Amino acid sequence: MLRYILRRLVILLLSLFIAAVVLFVLLRLLPGDPANALVGVGATPEQIAAAQAQLGSDQPLGVQFLSYLGDLARFDLGNSFVSRSSVLDEISRRLSVTLPLTLAAFVLALVIAIPLGILAAVKADRWYGLLLSVVSQVGIAVPVFWLGILLVYEFSLNLRLLPSGGFPLRGYADPGRAIESMVLPVLTIAIVMSASLMRYVRAATLEVLGSDFLRTARALGESHTGALMRHGLRNAAVPVVSVLGIELSTTFLGAVVVEQVFSLPGMGSMLLLGIQQRDYPNIQGVLIVSTLLVLLTGFLADILQRVLDPRLRKEAR
Amino acid sequence: MLSRTDMSFGAPLARGRAALATLTAVSALALSSAAAMAQDYDPQAVVNIGSLYEPQNLDNTQGAGQGINEAFNGNVYEGLFVLTDDGDVEPKLVDSYEISDDGLTYTFTLKDGVTFHSGEKMTSADVKSSIERVTAENSASSRKKTLTVIDSIETPDDKTVVVTLSAPSISLPYNLSYVWIVNDDAGDISASEDGTGPYTLQEWRRGSALAMVPFEDYWGEEPTNGGVMFQYFTDATAQNNALLTGAVDIITSVQSPDALSMFTDNPDFTVSEGASTTKELMAYNDRVAPFDNAQVRAALSRAVDKEKLLQAIWGDYGTLIGSFVPPTDPWYVDLNDVNAYDPESTKEMLAEAGYPDGFSFTLDTPDYDPHPVVAQFLQNELAKVDVDVKINIITANEWYTKIYKAHDFDATLQEHVNHRDIVFYGNPDFYWGYDNPEVTRLISESESAHSMEEQTEMLTEANKIIAEDAASMWLYLYPQIVVSTSNVSGYPLNGLNSQFFAYDIQKAD
Amino acid sequence: MSAESTELPPRRRRGNATFWLGLILVGVIVLAGIVSFFWTPYALSDMAGGRLEAPSAAHWAGTDRLGRDLFTQLMIGARIALIVGCGAVAIGAVIGVATGILAAFATRFLDDALAAFFDILIAFPTLLIAMLVVAAREEASLGTAILALGIGLSPIVGRITRILTKQVLGQDYITAARVSGTSWGAIVYWHILPNIVPFLGVNLALQFGLAVMAEASLSYLGLGAPPPNASWGRMLQEAQGTVYTAPWGAVLPGLALFALVIGINLLADGLRDRFDPARRDG
Repeated sequence: MLRYILRRLVILLLSLFIAAVVLFVLLRLLPGDPANALVGVGATPEQIAAAQAQLGSDQPLGVQFLSYLGDLARFDLGNSFVSRSSVLDEISRRLSVTLPLTLAAFVLALVIAIPLGILAAVKADRWYGLLLSVVSQVGIAVPVFWLGILLVYEFSLNLRLLPSGGFPLRGYADPGRAIESMVLPVLTIAIVMSASLMRYVRAATLEVLGSDFLRTARALGESHTGALMRHGLRNAAVPVVSVLGIELSTTFLGAVVVEQVFSLPGMGSMLLLGIQQRDYPNIQGVLIVSTLLVLLTGFLADILQRVLDPRLRKEAR
Repeated sequence: MLSRTDMSFGAPLARGRAALATLTAVSALALSSAAAMAQDYDPQAVVNIGSLYEPQNLDNTQGAGQGINEAFNGNVYEGLFVLTDDGDVEPKLVDSYEISDDGLTYTFTLKDGVTFHSGEKMTSADVKSSIERVTAENSASSRKKTLTVIDSIETPDDKTVVVTLSAPSISLPYNLSYVWIVNDDAGDISASEDGTGPYTLQEWRRGSALAMVPFEDYWGEEPTNGGVMFQYFTDATAQNNALLTGAVDIITSVQSPDALSMFTDNPDFTVSEGASTTKELMAYNDRVAPFDNAQVRAALSRAVDKEKLLQAIWGDYGTLIGSFVPPTDPWYVDLNDVNAYDPESTKEMLAEAGYPDGFSFTLDTPDYDPHPVVAQFLQNELAKVDVDVKINIITANEWYTKIYKAHDFDATLQEHVNHRDIVFYGNPDFYWGYDNPEVTRLISESESAHSMEEQTEMLTEANKIIAEDAASMWLYLYPQIVVSTSNVSGYPLNGLNSQFFAYDIQKAD
Repeated sequence: MSAESTELPPRRRRGNATFWLGLILVGVIVLAGIVSFFWTPYALSDMAGGRLEAPSAAHWAGTDRLGRDLFTQLMIGARIALIVGCGAVAIGAVIGVATGILAAFATRFLDDALAAFFDILIAFPTLLIAMLVVAAREEASLGTAILALGIGLSPIVGRITRILTKQVLGQDYITAARVSGTSWGAIVYWHILPNIVPFLGVNLALQFGLAVMAEASLSYLGLGAPPPNASWGRMLQEAQGTVYTAPWGAVLPGLALFALVIGINLLADGLRDRFDPARRDG
């Protein structure tokens, strides 16, 4: 197991390196010279040249790439073209919104999806089992921003229970309002996410219910539920865990949209603004940090999966 | 939103003339007793202002966008002069000033007892360094060009600033109203401030809000509220919702008439219409064929039913102006009849100009509302006269580089927010490349005019020529609408050049 | 045991019911999309209607701000949604399944490399980046958007395929098949594909929904296919500001999107219930 973790760690680092390369290439494919963005309107060619020198974009690509890797290794993400402030500082401020948002939504989605998904599979023949799968279908088909707007309409405009958007100026120093302003965004993501998770859980459980070993166990006299609990869940969990990492990363796209709907100062709105303004250091910083986070999640999910599925463990030696 | 970042390149000044004052009126829309009537207010109350224009940084010479003018002009920083909400240019940090007979030397005497938020006294050295901040090599200020007329700045003593010009400039005080007086020891002000205004910056949380509190040692009258918080939204619907739920007290500009219906029939809100200077236009690249031909431009202008467009975008709001000059500029004349809607004549004119079968062009369209909708309308209207429009959606940033700087386009859509910006047509190097020597002469001579009347006469003449030439296709004038809860009053209605003075706002309990 | 057996027939019927419901929903939208090639109530650019008219006999779904017929736009939107969904899923599935199976069979090094590559590509907000590149191109078209979405989906499909395939490969009967001399190609065809298809099918249906939805989200953010493409996402974005005065403009494209995604998922569910061998003999 330890060997596996070490190997997986090496892969993680390699992945990060490849991600850095992919990013470097991608951002240079984008049209427009970042130096133009830096100096703004009415700049003279000399000013643009000076900006290029400052950014190093007049250097050969190889040199640019090495200094880029050096900066990354020191975790120096540079300064924004537009705001002139440190990208890393800005990201850490923004993460304090996006990370709780994503994690809370993720946990809430799991809490909703796992029991309901199993129930929907076990009781697939009953009306409520059917109802549950219908509900999960509905959940998947609702666009995130549509759901967000709907929740705002009901809980903010009609019932006046929760704020319609924004984040308190003092952040978590104002805990009541900070939490209040997170409720609807978290709900929005969690509902959409739990719907698709529920389908995975249901499908995986159904698979296990139909499998030979469960039938064997039941033939040996174990009760239906007992057999499922003892042998089934563990098996059902394997494919579900494998999609968790993916789900978490799609949550990020969801967060971009949700932060837009609720005017939240998170990573998503930072990325979107960066794209609109061609603020390359900001785009690059957000992508690097979010890639890092998702790769870490994938790493943890793989190890968890290994723990859950002894067959894979054996094969890995 | 680039033109919104203030592109007024030397709008001439009409000092002392109350150009806008008479036209500024609380519109008939205001249902409740216009909030101006509110008697009691809470001097400690914090006013929450909803805005769509978050500044990118806090330094107006570093491409911070129009949001910084909204938040900081007159509130945190002050200039030697101020452009009031009524359109007057009045002395602010200047006590008095003299102009030499040749109009080339301005001697400013500064106000006494003005201190910066850091506690330092304001001196002539601060004024000199502040002007030089704007004209500096690395300044990205769009005001830079207007101040190149300044030859030298002397500071004979702490109270006196002598500015020498290379040519007379009737707009100098107007242009100086954009120059923040910043403490010369302040250093980098992209994330902090040191101004002389009635408010000091309390905190700025990027992507969310910016808070200001009254400055205790302010030299002038203290604000009638206990502070201001600008809350920033990325989307107009979210902003409207915040007003509806009481999270903000005022929204600085309304983007669509459809949102207004929620406020107009509700006694809890005041809807006010100010004087607008925001013009929607299709700018041709007048350098390139076929748009180098005035007849082609005039023909296209006749093919578009602007009334229908205005109705589609703004319902019953907004005005048609027929040129680039809004009714609030002294040189306004009604030019709606010049090249008015007459699609029949378009085809003949195009045939005469050598395009009997029409032509096709690409319309570079900024990706934010209302431009994509306007582009589709134009595409449809022009298709009827065999002119094929290809819509190319671009971001604000691409607009900057591709159109504003590289002049690489056929035609584009843009909104221009500033008042008195007809002067752009006098600059052949401006992005739309309109080059009529007569207009250039009129506009540049109006700058050295000796009187208001003379200046107005020349610019009226220029305005008429530009309209005859159909230099661009002027589509409509936006309405300027401010909505607030009915317990708030005293806010500016016109928001000229994106300013939003907060110190007179009163909030009742 | 016997108690459960008696419950089987009704479950079948319900499975059939979801299948038919899905078929009807998808069928209606497919039909609308096909018909839109030959006939729509109005021309897409016809602005003869009034501003934000409510649904009526003349305009079945009302009109937009420019007076264009919304029903026409909905029909053309159906066409675009189907093209986007099918195109993206086809590209994603071909690339994803091929690389996923390859990874599962490959040597440890190649397997690790591919697995890591899937992870990286998934970790990227690939869709956003791809669309950014598409949007930045001079000639942004639906085709490049579909390609971008398809490539964006492929690592997700690949990752799942790899894991599912590995699970199947770990089963004893594969070893038995190998011992009895079955070729790898035959194993893929006879054992792996049938075993991964039920789970993968559900996933592909989800991906279809995801692709259509991603297009809508990107349009909402202003990064979608340019006008005059009347995609449902674009319609939603344009109707956003008028949602209180003319709600049908936002509700109808939303409902259409909803019906398509739900329909395709029901269809997938129904198919799985019909063909899943484990459940058939249950």
